[in-house]
Amino acid sequence: MRDYITVSMLNAYVSRLLDQDELLQEFWLKGELSGYRFYKQSGHSYFSLKDKDSAVSCVMFKSRNQAVNFQPEDGMEVLLRGYVSVYARQGKYQVYVEEMLPYGTGSLFIYLEKLKAQLAGQGYFEATRKRLIPPIVNRIGVVTSQDGAALQDILRVIRQRHPGAQVILAHSSVQGSEAPKELAAGIRMLNEYGLVEVIIIARGGGSVEDLMAFNSEEVVQAVYASDIPVISGVGHEVDVTFCDLAADLRAATPTQAAQFAVPDYTSIKKHRDELGLRMARSMQRLLAARLESLDRCLMKKVWSQPQLLAKRQADLLLACQQRLGAAMLENLKTDHHRFTLTVQGLESRSPLNVLTRGYAIVAREGVVVKRIDEVSEGDRLQVEMIDGRLTVVIQGKEKIARWKN
Amino acid sequence: MEELDFESALERLEEIVEQLESGQLNLESSLAVFEEGVRLSLYCQKELARADGKVQRLLRKLNGEFELEDIEA
Repeated sequence: MRDYITVSMLNAYVSRLLDQDELLQEFWLKGELSGYRFYKQSGHSYFSLKDKDSAVSCVMFKSRNQAVNFQPEDGMEVLLRGYVSVYARQGKYQVYVEEMLPYGTGSLFIYLEKLKAQLAGQGYFEATRKRLIPPIVNRIGVVTSQDGAALQDILRVIRQRHPGAQVILAHSSVQGSEAPKELAAGIRMLNEYGLVEVIIIARGGGSVEDLMAFNSEEVVQAVYASDIPVISGVGHEVDVTFCDLAADLRAATPTQAAQFAVPDYTSIKKHRDELGLRMARSMQRLLAARLESLDRCLMKKVWSQPQLLAKRQADLLLACQQRLGAAMLENLKTDHHRFTLTVQGLESRSPLNVLTRGYAIVAREGVVVKRIDEVSEGDRLQVEMIDGRLTVVIQGKEKIARWKN
Repeated sequence: MEELDFESALERLEEIVEQLESGQLNLESSLAVFEEGVRLSLYCQKELARADGKVQRLLRKLNGEFELEDIEA
């Protein structure tokens, strides 16, 4: 009996061989779609990818299919990302597709237009939510590849314009299947870290396919959700990615992104110097004006001949005294006349006049008594006569009706 | 003064220059803001002369904490 193996063993062996090959675990494959079938029930799709001379079976499972943003059709050129493994039941190898993108300017353009409309519909590109980049920043977050030219461009500009600025790099691949996830994670990580004032997401120039990661919804969503303002500088002048559209500010290149991010300290220095000068000048002007006023005061005669000040006061005093004396004399004259008249008037009204005619004033304890009701028998009264005062005691009261009460 | 960041310092300096130039202040206030302006100006000069910018890579450690690693760039 010969040694043999079973079919399952063969397939398992081949399968292991393929699984061990790193190249086959992750690659991009370009070709034309053929025999495309999508099963609604399961959500999986099966098709072949072919070129002029070859074809290979492909399968794309439901979870991956959901991320496809366009309608695959036979004859369409596509770019697939996936890995190879053996389908043991049929003893054939096939490509397990993780991601499918339209390939070629025609179909890629259509794909991008659709994706753009979809992302725009979700509000990611709204101009109203764009934030201003702070005018002066000291810590800049950068999401790009540590090994890329973009980082060097950015660092050169930052060192030139603002040598004191800190750069915090969130390293990420900038193309390939992991790039969207890593770029998005970089933005989120810088947000969590929190100490940067602005984020630059950047990549140097490349083909449209190279820049695809910056068109992914994952990156667009992360840029949109960032609390820290984001400047996007991807590719060359002509490349506009969706990441650019979602960012708070779009720069044409990584270099320009850095220029937008940091202030030019040379011009700020000039501004500061100018402010210092203006400040000194206006202070000088102010002091000069005060000194001049002071000088003008000091020049006045009064400081050199202060006695002048006293003499004027003395003159003033003398004049006042003279006027006072004259006024007094005048007043006295008028007053004397008025006094005489008043005395004459007083004399005619004086109670003393009445007393000479035989009337008397009766008082009790200094209060004049006018009616008998005001006093009682036995009260002591004073009677004022023209030549003196009597003290009397009331011995009797009798009411008499006079002609007038 | 210590908590002041560069941007506010520069803004305040601009304000002071405008106040002084307006000539609205009396001598005493002028001297006071001038003194403040000189301090701000020196602070800005110092900040502008700084050239100690670093490039660091932000890494997340296994315990979730952040770590900054200086990189040659």
